Amino acid sequence: MCLALCDQLVVSFQLQEIVFKNFYTAFLTIRVQRRSPADVAGEGPRKWVTCLRNYCLMPNPHTEEGSQDYFSVFRDQMLCDVDEVMAIRMILRQPSPVWLHFTIEELQIYPRGQESPQKDFPSWLSHLTSREQPANLHGGLPNPEKVSAEVQQMWVLTEMIHANRAAARIGRFDVDGCYDVNLLSYT
Amino acid sequence: LAHHSHRTAFNNNISMAYECLGASGRRKKPGVNGRIYSELLRRICQDSEAPQEVTSPLLQRIQCRDHEAVPFDVFRYGVLTCFVLLEFVAKADTLYDVLDDGSGVADKRVCQAVLGTLEEALGASDFSVPIRYLEAGSKLGPDCLAVAMDRALLERKLSTSMKREEFLKKAAVLFIAKVKPVD
Repeated sequence: MCLALCDQLVVSFQLQEIVFKNFYTAFLTIRVQRRSPADVAGEGPRKWVTCLRNYCLMPNPHTEEGSQDYFSVFRDQMLCDVDEVMAIRMILRQPSPVWLHFTIEELQIYPRGQESPQKDFPSWLSHLTSREQPANLHGGLPNPEKVSAEVQQMWVLTEMIHANRAAARIGRFDVDGCYDVNLLSYT
Repeated sequence: LAHHSHRTAFNNNISMAYECLGASGRRKKPGVNGRIYSELLRRICQDSEAPQEVTSPLLQRIQCRDHEAVPFDVFRYGVLTCFVLLEFVAKADTLYDVLDDGSGVADKRVCQAVLGTLEEALGASDFSVPIRYLEAGSKLGPDCLAVAMDRALLERKLSTSMKREEFLKKAAVLFIAKVKPVD
């Protein structure tokens, strides 16, 4: 079963990212209508081009997995150039008879230079599992789980004392609100 | 005395201790002076199992001079810091047991790798940016620590040991560096 959504734009733009929330769509195809760079007046024939073909949103169309997930599709993932886009057509497919209704929601389209907020995430958050899989570790290594547990507690204790710094001071070198130079010494 | 993690009870205990110590008694002037405060901190550290060479750098940082009047905020911070350091050293002691794997002696390269990773994680923290907490937590995860320890063993072939006292001292330095000196 297929459903097509079409968005006709007034001016052309450079597509950067498409973000949406899935609702039981199994596969997504995106086609764009582009204006030719030579067609300054915008009156020339426009061609529909497939930039994303059968992008899998649900690994198994009959089950829940991926059915309500958020997705981001970047220009780098597209099959073709997505500059000078005049219209976008999104073709949703759901072959399973289990789901009576399917669509995509919260659709957001970002042009180049305006990225989705998730871009601000630091790169290390995208690599939460170690890049260097410690497959060939020395046999004599201490248990990393136990080491990690103790070290993390030591870190927490240190951070806690850093956070609990005293606001008050002794005022050791203060004399009537000023420093007395004679009281200062080299240590 | 309540454990420092039971913050309300601990704060109540600290307040009562400050009042008791500050009561004039036989002294001419009421209030907690540097002599009483510093002596209390020394007693707290002496009564523990932590070695003196580990605790004395902290005392030097937070003690007061005998004649100085100690405000409650400074008193509380000093006492809290002592107890937290003692718990930190106890954790470091347990960590050494993990690193030596029951042999009684830990590999120096592994010790330095673990302490180096902890130092890096402490340096990464910034209270104005909460995400730094996640970054530090990621650095101290089992995977990263395993890679750090493995790399240390591969980079330096010569194997020497680090004694427990030296490990505790080096670990305590990382903690004490984050303690604000009394001024």
